[in-house]
Amino acid sequence: MKKVLVADDKDTGRELVRTVLENSGHQVFEASDGEQAVAEALRIHPDLIILDIHMPGLDGFGVIEKLRREPSFSHTPIIALTASAMMGDRERAMAAGFTGYITKPIRLGALRAEVERLLA
Amino acid sequence: MLLERRFRELLEAAPDAIMQVDAEGRIILLNRVAEDMFGYSRDELLGQPVEALIPHELHARHAEHRAHYRQNPMTRTMGSGLALEAIRKDGSRFPVEISLSPSESVEGFRVTAIIRDTTERRTAEERLHKVQEEYTQRLAETNAELAMTNRELERANRLKSEFLASMSHELRTPLHTIIGFSELLGEKLEGPLNEKQMRFVQHIHKDSLHLLELINDVLDISKIEADRLELRPEAFDFAALVAESVASVRSLAEAKSHILETASDVPTAVEADRLRIKQILVNLLSNAIKFTPEGGRIRLEARVQESFVVVSVCDTGVGIPPEEHESIFEKFHQVGATTKGVREGTGLGLAITKRLVEQHGGGIWVQSEPEQGSTFSFKLPMSSAERKTQGA
Repeated sequence: MKKVLVADDKDTGRELVRTVLENSGHQVFEASDGEQAVAEALRIHPDLIILDIHMPGLDGFGVIEKLRREPSFSHTPIIALTASAMMGDRERAMAAGFTGYITKPIRLGALRAEVERLLA
Repeated sequence: MLLERRFRELLEAAPDAIMQVDAEGRIILLNRVAEDMFGYSRDELLGQPVEALIPHELHARHAEHRAHYRQNPMTRTMGSGLALEAIRKDGSRFPVEISLSPSESVEGFRVTAIIRDTTERRTAEERLHKVQEEYTQRLAETNAELAMTNRELERANRLKSEFLASMSHELRTPLHTIIGFSELLGEKLEGPLNEKQMRFVQHIHKDSLHLLELINDVLDISKIEADRLELRPEAFDFAALVAESVASVRSLAEAKSHILETASDVPTAVEADRLRIKQILVNLLSNAIKFTPEGGRIRLEARVQESFVVVSVCDTGVGIPPEEHESIFEKFHQVGATTKGVREGTGLGLAITKRLVEQHGGGIWVQSEPEQGSTFSFKLPMSSAERKTQGA
């Protein structure tokens, strides 16, 4: 069982991802904003983090910047989740240190495949 | 006496004022034009220093010029000097041009001056200059206005793009969970659904995906209109993309019992924006499926023609009247009478497809007759490198 941290300011979004991951047999932790995501990550040391890019306050980019500064998080797989479909967003996310990128609305198959790829 | 009279006639026939001054600068000869020009009678001027005809502030300098001229006498032609000013008896001033010719005789040194009043020409020049200045001014104002309009347009365009980006985000966020949860329910991992519940869940899922397509279409056309659609060309296996596109519409075709076939002599590598080419293929295939009555035949053909890939999607559907062959590629156009109630979609699909093809340096066209089916074809340069050559 792997520990996965899901950060999204929308509770429905968190529940959707949590359900999919739990169905796959993972242990899910939640954070509803960026600050909480950083604190929770440092506390539980997850195997994978799924970060919504757009969160009020500290956004996904802010979270990854803080986490990547921690030596213990330099290699943790982190998936960016975003509802934006603008060109260049994926490049920007990868340059910021994300290891995966999924756009909302997610297709369950795509989410499962990305999660398994990064946890393998 | 005859000579004297001839000389006088010659003098008076000249259109310019003529004067002669002696070595001391005194006027010793003048014609009628000179009298009229300066407003003096001949008697008033004869024997007067020529400075009488020059504004006071220039007297000293003129005397110097005269002395200098006495030392270096030479013919100076009309217009070769500076712009000069003369003064009339009534004190009014006017611009003149003067030509000078020295002569030396038994009577001593003489200078003959021919004087032309250039007021009219000066006025005309000034008027022309003024018109030019006004024109330049107006041009500058118009330019400034245009620059401002341009800035406003750029700002409006930027606001539009920002609005679209945020709108797209806002619309996708709730769709994300509607699509996700309906798919999740349909998987029945959370428990069984009866047949009706299953169908309802599938309706929600299918229609929310459709809503997503509409949002994507509106976003695409807006990006195209704002010139913000960027292509990401890459080399890819065209045959594999055709197979992938056909696979993604196969269930739609099967739902209407269509025969879906491909005949391809497709090259292995094409350089283009893979996702956009798939969008083009899927759009043409879904249109063909949508506008063909049940049990039709849809055939995709791809081949190489010179440096282009030519793709045709042929159907046995309702067809399009010739007068609509061009307007069908316009925004919001939907073939009215012939669609027989098939009217879902934004009417943006073909407009987007056309722009995507054109942005790749290609072209799209249709051959069709009502009730005879349609063939939509497009051609793309094999690679962006070759596209550059084509464009050059």
